[in-house]
Amino acid sequence: MNVKDTLRYCINSLSEAGVDKSQTWLTNSKKYELNVDGGEVSLLRTTLDTNLKVIAIKDNRKGEISISKVDTESIDKAIENVLKILETSEIDEAYDIADHQEAKTFKSGDKEIDLDKMYTQLKNFIEKVKTKFPKVNLEQVIIEFNRIERYLMNSNEVDFRSTTGTYDFTTMFSSKDGEKTTSFNYTAFSLKDLERELMDCSSIAYLLEESVEQLNAKPLEGKFVGDIIITPDCLEGFISYYNGIFLSDSALISGTSRFKDKINEQVASNKLTLRTNPVDEGISKGYFITPDGFEAENLTLIKNGVLKSFLLSQYGANKTNLTRSKNVGGAYIVDTGDEELKELIKNIDKGLLVSRFSGGNPSPYGDFSGVAKNSFYIENGEIKYPITETMISSNLCDVFKNINGISKEYVDFGTAILPWISVSGVTISGK
Amino acid sequence: MLKNHNLKVHSDLFKQYTELRVQENRELNISLIKGNLVRNTKKSTGGVSVRVNNKGYWGFSSIPSFNSDGIKKSIEQASYNANFLQSKENKTKSTFQPSNPSFEMDLTTKKTKFTQKQIMEYIKEVDSYIVNKYPKLSNREVHMQCLDMEKKILTSDGASLFSMLPRSIVYIALILEKNGEPVRITVPFGGLGQFEDNFDSPRNLYEEIDKTYNHLLKKAEAIYAEAGVKECILDAKLAGILAHEAIGHTVEADLVLGGSVAGDYLGKKVASPLISLVDYANEYDGKMCPVPVYIDDEGTDAKDVVIIEDGVLKSFMHNKESAQHFNVSPTGNARAYQYFDEPLIRMRNTAIVPGKSSIDEMISSIEDGYYLIQPSNGQADTTSEFMFGVTLGYEIKNGKIGRAIKDTTISGIAFDVLESVSMVSDEMNWSAGGFCGKKQMITVGMGGPAIKSKINLGGR
Repeated sequence: MNVKDTLRYCINSLSEAGVDKSQTWLTNSKKYELNVDGGEVSLLRTTLDTNLKVIAIKDNRKGEISISKVDTESIDKAIENVLKILETSEIDEAYDIADHQEAKTFKSGDKEIDLDKMYTQLKNFIEKVKTKFPKVNLEQVIIEFNRIERYLMNSNEVDFRSTTGTYDFTTMFSSKDGEKTTSFNYTAFSLKDLERELMDCSSIAYLLEESVEQLNAKPLEGKFVGDIIITPDCLEGFISYYNGIFLSDSALISGTSRFKDKINEQVASNKLTLRTNPVDEGISKGYFITPDGFEAENLTLIKNGVLKSFLLSQYGANKTNLTRSKNVGGAYIVDTGDEELKELIKNIDKGLLVSRFSGGNPSPYGDFSGVAKNSFYIENGEIKYPITETMISSNLCDVFKNINGISKEYVDFGTAILPWISVSGVTISGK
Repeated sequence: MLKNHNLKVHSDLFKQYTELRVQENRELNISLIKGNLVRNTKKSTGGVSVRVNNKGYWGFSSIPSFNSDGIKKSIEQASYNANFLQSKENKTKSTFQPSNPSFEMDLTTKKTKFTQKQIMEYIKEVDSYIVNKYPKLSNREVHMQCLDMEKKILTSDGASLFSMLPRSIVYIALILEKNGEPVRITVPFGGLGQFEDNFDSPRNLYEEIDKTYNHLLKKAEAIYAEAGVKECILDAKLAGILAHEAIGHTVEADLVLGGSVAGDYLGKKVASPLISLVDYANEYDGKMCPVPVYIDDEGTDAKDVVIIEDGVLKSFMHNKESAQHFNVSPTGNARAYQYFDEPLIRMRNTAIVPGKSSIDEMISSIEDGYYLIQPSNGQADTTSEFMFGVTLGYEIKNGKIGRAIKDTTISGIAFDVLESVSMVSDEMNWSAGGFCGKKQMITVGMGGPAIKSKINLGGR
């Protein structure tokens, strides 16, 4: 069976079994992956993967199953199993599938890999690191070409197909000089093609330079409340925490979100505008279809500090009687500010430039604490020295309220576009 | 099902060092949030993978199929990939010492399997107990995760393995709202074994749920920890994550080659003489560990790795390649999570060895510090500076337990923290629900006693 026949077969089989609604996804992915370990290209992987996901709803009960083998026998068994799961489900009127939408095909990125070019780009990157940053240890570098085809059909006659091709780069590195070793740092970015050299992409060159400087890191003494500048590499983690705790399905269904009744109210600094733009031209690796089967649209979550939308799925929206969000997050863009990074630094009396945050999961109230990794001490408007063994703690709500400034400069990760953000009122504690 | 798969019929296709693996991971996940069934899913992910080594360069290929044609294509693609790299890099590394152990481990339950309906009824009964007994809770969550990891391996050296490694976990979260602030504690149950092996009756969970609720009442009145370095008792429930994050990752040989500070410390004193730390392969004190590994995914006989003995760093964890580099024997730490993942150096059951003190005498020995009980997530570093979250803890004032503290994070340079250890308790607590992320996820066991040491806390 071809893909569409497979999906139709699932929907028809479930309809014959008496279900009210069904939704099916088939995802075929192919990955080419070059791995560098210890500074040397050591592994080439080619992986094919298939995933068939079937959702069935009957009498407001729901079952869901995923399988990787899609022969008829496996599909028949999966349908039998999803009906068993459905029978044991709770009755919940919030269960649903995507409404009817016009059939559509979405495409982005390269269709086929250029393996020689990917290898050459990777070798160039390794050589440049060896030449420009001889004290840097490339613990791991991975470059992948990911070709993903997704098909969605449901009993409301939704018929979507999306095809994406991206080159995805991740690296983890540290610096070593004699017995001096720095903390590891890492970054990742996605590209639609390999036209630019890897060293010129995203924040990688900047982070490698910082890594070498961190060979002279020392513990910070004492404890004080100060300002921190959150770098673009560090910012996405804070945004993900924030959205998970305040804007997500689980936070709103359970009622633990502090923002549950704050739509159109000021929840953050008026300097902050946060968007989630999976179909933005500037985003290399977004998505076209939401996991619940709707065409994804760009969405402004916070505009000038005012909360404009939650991140609610169809189920979350039905459960809370709120509006379904136009997407499910990711592809974050924070609007840039009007100050240069050097001005943000200049305005700080005492604080940190935080390049990586390694912390415990924040509490449901938003309290967090953790280690400021790969970070620098700032005093009287100047970066003084790299630090170790320094912790920061605050509340996520306060972090986004107490923004002093946002940089003009930004980093394009392909998966997000983010600036530097200066924040006040953070407890900073050293040894 | 994979047990009867005859991999040897494909061995004629092995032209170079080759690992052939068929694997299926089967998952069942159920989540109730405030009584709402937000997750009720089954998933199976399976297929074949092949890894080939050509003069030191690896090629890997995988497809979601178990048939002969798929295996043949995977061997061809993996060989092509290894040859592609070898021709580009044009270097030659020596071959591995051949080894061909063989082992079968099938931990499928011997009990009558529960139906989906029975499992759901169990989860709902636990949820009903919580909501009926504790009506003041603002929210509660019951999550169940079952994972059966079944694999069969054959290498060109003749090593073979069949393994059916199950894990079943139930997590319960209790949430209370105090002055508009949600306060939460999570408690895990279960570990090695299928659902039927770990969850006879919902009643077996109630005592621990009751204890957790009492902690939650105290946490609702909690204060912020005082930020800075303090003397602390890390409960046995935390010792495992300390062993794993603080030390374990720094002595994985691939991270040592990547610049881990532990590379300079082999044979040196790195901790208090009270500290011994072992990555157990499969058994501790005559009992099976949470993640028993008898032969790893490269076909190596799995051995215990004594990492620290009486405070001295003794050895690293290896796969075949790193063992060759360090001129030692591989230790059986190469493990892959899904069929499409290659084996990486991973911990198995990493634990601090118990000492001789009692927890009561340890608490009474502290004038001003903290008793830290429940961990959350953690992270390691090449410098051995670690952190992990703490979701349940108390002040210690003049040798007595005081007020509860809010969620915090602790950190430190692992070797400094272990050097400051002055007491180690006589108990052993295994945490059996952990996952470790390092390119891929993997199940791990973590264990240990309570320890007394100086540590840095985040707070106000």
